[in-house]
Amino acid sequence: MIRGNQCRLRLATAAALFFLTLAVPVLGGAAPAQSSATEYQIEAAYLLNFGKFVTWPAASASSSAAAAPKSPDTFSICVLGEDPFGSVLDATVRGEKINGKSVTARRVRRVQEAAGCDVLFMGESGESRNHKAISALNKAGVLTVSDLAGFLDRGGIIQFVLSGNKVRFEVNLDAANEAQLTLSSELLKVALSVRGKRAEGGPK
Amino acid sequence: MMLNVARSSISRRLTLMNLLVSASALLLASIGFLAYDQYTYRESLVRNLSAQAQIVGSNSVSAITFNDPQAAENTLSALRSFPNVLSAGIVLQGGHLFAYFPHQSAENIVAVPNVPEGSSEVSVFRGDEVVLVRDIVFQGKVLGTVFIRSSLSELSHRLSRYVLIAAVVLLISLIAALLISSLYRRSVARPIISLAETAKAVSEQKDYSLRSDAVPDGTEIGLLISSFNEMLQQIQSRDEALRDAQADLEHRVQERTQQLLVANRELEAFSYSVSHDLRGPLETINGFVHLLLSKYGPNLDEDGREYLRQVRGASRRMAELIDDLLNLSRVTTTAMHKQRVDMAALARQIVQDLRRREPSRQVEFVLGECPSTEGDPRLMQIALENLLRNAWKYTSAHSRAKIEFSCENRATGIVYFVRDDGAGFDASQADRLFKPFQRLHSSSEFPGTGIGLATVQRIIQRHGGDVWAESKLDEGATFFFTVGQQPQTSQIVAKTG
Repeated sequence: MIRGNQCRLRLATAAALFFLTLAVPVLGGAAPAQSSATEYQIEAAYLLNFGKFVTWPAASASSSAAAAPKSPDTFSICVLGEDPFGSVLDATVRGEKINGKSVTARRVRRVQEAAGCDVLFMGESGESRNHKAISALNKAGVLTVSDLAGFLDRGGIIQFVLSGNKVRFEVNLDAANEAQLTLSSELLKVALSVRGKRAEGGPK
Repeated sequence: MMLNVARSSISRRLTLMNLLVSASALLLASIGFLAYDQYTYRESLVRNLSAQAQIVGSNSVSAITFNDPQAAENTLSALRSFPNVLSAGIVLQGGHLFAYFPHQSAENIVAVPNVPEGSSEVSVFRGDEVVLVRDIVFQGKVLGTVFIRSSLSELSHRLSRYVLIAAVVLLISLIAALLISSLYRRSVARPIISLAETAKAVSEQKDYSLRSDAVPDGTEIGLLISSFNEMLQQIQSRDEALRDAQADLEHRVQERTQQLLVANRELEAFSYSVSHDLRGPLETINGFVHLLLSKYGPNLDEDGREYLRQVRGASRRMAELIDDLLNLSRVTTTAMHKQRVDMAALARQIVQDLRRREPSRQVEFVLGECPSTEGDPRLMQIALENLLRNAWKYTSAHSRAKIEFSCENRATGIVYFVRDDGAGFDASQADRLFKPFQRLHSSSEFPGTGIGLATVQRIIQRHGGDVWAESKLDEGATFFFTVGQQPQTSQIVAKTG
């Protein structure tokens, strides 16, 4: 009896471990689970999913003069600078909706143009290295994301990092507070690291 | 009267009834509560699991979205505080196990049931565990499912605790019921037992003066007791009335019997004296008719002499009548002196007398072998004489007659009989035969007074026997009689001796 049970337990543990290893490369939410997903496919899916865990301030409540009016019907995910995604991003957002808004992917060339975006991925470019440009985008209420090293130091809000074989991200809450964006605790929970503090009495 | 309340069957039954009623009521109630408790416990278990699953699910959304199984497992590990949770996990849409929480050490992964279309969760009870599966929905999309396996050991613990409590309550209740029923026995069983014992005593001792000493209360039992006592009272008073009436009746019968005896004796004395006193004048008439005939007979003409002969004949018949009456009177009054009587010898002697008186009659006499009997010889002589004379008389119309005296052994004893082949009588008139002055034939046909057979009957009855007759008209008659109840042995001894 005892031997049988132990045997069964061992088998079960083995099975659990096996399933866990299978689950490692699985994509969340919109992205289909594929073991062959590339880093950029995952990052594209994450860009979309960030929108689901971040609250933007209401348009009228925006006190920033520089804030460009955001479209009430569409949720824009923009790419500034070098675009590593290609058609992957467009495929990822196709047909997706965030908070009832249909999601579009855009390419922008200038910071001013990016002010109307909700989420901005900053590729390799002058702006991505520019502290002021990033700060301006924060003031415009744009969730700035990049995979460039030191992005958070320059005032970016989220930075992709590779941890082991996995795509993870780090969060700069001070920058998020500057942008009047509320990042849900769920998001912070899965972040690899979080710097800065939550804004007290900030909007939910 | 000893009242053994505790051992009587009725109080045993009352106690048993109490116990059974309370036991079954408690048992049913316990089962009902138990079933309800198990049901509600399962319900609340499923509700709790559902809430837990919901919390785990919504807290795992980001972990799923950003592919962070560690975060999901951290969330799942919060279930550690629920000792009933055996395992939990999150399964993604493709069927891949995303996160798994083994409580304590390792646990086996069970087959996770699918959530049916149209609902967001399902719970399955199997064996000693329950599995609840709930969809994780985020922004209108199902990301995966969370499952929680929970042990049902708490359920069986509850069940055993409940059964234990129910058993204790049942035991206490039964003891209480026993105590209560012992209190009630006093008021219910005791009067009934007392009543039953009184009834038994009454029917066994036939003593209707007994009363149930149970105190009648307002109940039906009280009514029964008072009715029973009242009934006994009635029976007793009726009994007494009956006894009084019987005593009164007996007294009156004795009185009447005495009166009758006196009257009868007076009547017999009267008839004896009348008969006796009639004899004197009759003797005088007879004597003077004789004188008249012998002294003045020749002076009378033939008619005159004939008249005197008629007078003499009538006075002779009258003398016979008086003799018979005196006989009848004597046989009932004179004292009996019992001794051995040889009936056959007696009969032979009587027939010889009859032949001597009328030697012209051709009569064949058959004498059977008969044992002697115990009786008054004088009375037996009179009885036998009457019977044989009757036979002689009623065969007188035949030129040749046959008379038989014999006896036969019957179950009841020796039966003597006198048989003739004479005129006989109508059998339908047989009951009149033995009554005095009743005659079945006219005097002109066969002379007689009608007293003879009445005399025979009285003699036989005084000897404790019986007499009866059988006959057909013109075919002779047989008169049977018995003398008392004699044992067979004494007859044999008498005969050989």
